[in-house]
Amino acid sequence: MIASGIKRGTAELVVLSILQEGALHGYEIARRIEQETNGSLRFTLAALYPMLYRLEKQKWIRGSWETSVNGRRRRCYRLTPKGKQKIAPLRKEWSDLFAALHRLAGVSNA
Amino acid sequence: MPDWQELLRQRLTGLELDSAESAEVIEELAGHLEDQYQCLLQDGVSEKSAIYCVLENLADCRDLKFKIESSRKKERPMNSRVSQFWLPAFLTILLAMSFLMIVEALGFEPWVSAAWGGPQGTVPVAVVYLPWLITLPFIGALGAYLSGRAGARGWTVFSSVIFPTVPYLVFCVIGLPIAMILDGHIAHNIILPAFFVGFGVWVLLPALALLAGGMPVHYFSRRAVS
Repeated sequence: MIASGIKRGTAELVVLSILQEGALHGYEIARRIEQETNGSLRFTLAALYPMLYRLEKQKWIRGSWETSVNGRRRRCYRLTPKGKQKIAPLRKEWSDLFAALHRLAGVSNA
Repeated sequence: MPDWQELLRQRLTGLELDSAESAEVIEELAGHLEDQYQCLLQDGVSEKSAIYCVLENLADCRDLKFKIESSRKKERPMNSRVSQFWLPAFLTILLAMSFLMIVEALGFEPWVSAAWGGPQGTVPVAVVYLPWLITLPFIGALGAYLSGRAGARGWTVFSSVIFPTVPYLVFCVIGLPIAMILDGHIAHNIILPAFFVGFGVWVLLPALALLAGGMPVHYFSRRAVS
């Protein structure tokens, strides 16, 4: 498991990247992140939703209530144009950081 | 199967959002818990274990509540360090100092321990303002309440509660040793026991009084939330 301090910094990029695939509700976002990182990244309720609300406030994502076939209402999140624009600079920031870490501390596979 | 919405309503009582927004958040979080529960059942986990697993999400409801409030509020909320530590800490120190000044201004006589003689000259006496000490548990309780309400835990609450003793601690740790070094050049002939007397009367005793009020409030408010 990755320490929460490091995870917090990466969270925005992780969520925005997951939402690039399409609209998802909160639980599905958490599940996809866990699956695609082989369990290294796990978001608790207290970590995921406040972040989703913050990203929504920044207008990087937009949430809307949708009713599924079984009649359950779920709030689905999708990327906004502003959010899509944010992904590339965030990726660059992180790859710059990993490159620097690689040079400094030998962190590889960045 | 538990009623997740009802459970969340109970756990997040007092969520500082308007009622429609609060209902929306609870519905969304309940949906998450329900999805997780169903997934665990599909994976072959027993109902009891699935419930236990899902409830782990709500282990720290105070933290969840605080984070949701901070992220949903329209205005920029205070930095959590400010609301959890600095604000309660400065309020407790302000109240403690004000009460000490009031107690002195009202002419309350301090309790003064009998002086005892020593080979090195003047031995310090303990000066204790009992009316002031009596007010400290209430100040500690207020500090713990404010810090806890902002989502603080353990050491942060503890530090904000005992913060009024910091100036005295600094004086004991820095001021008294300097005074001892400068022994012959200052008015009072300070000797080693002064450190212990000063520490006990102006640091330890007030800290215990503050904690006597602060810790029960912290303990019971945590129990009420969980």
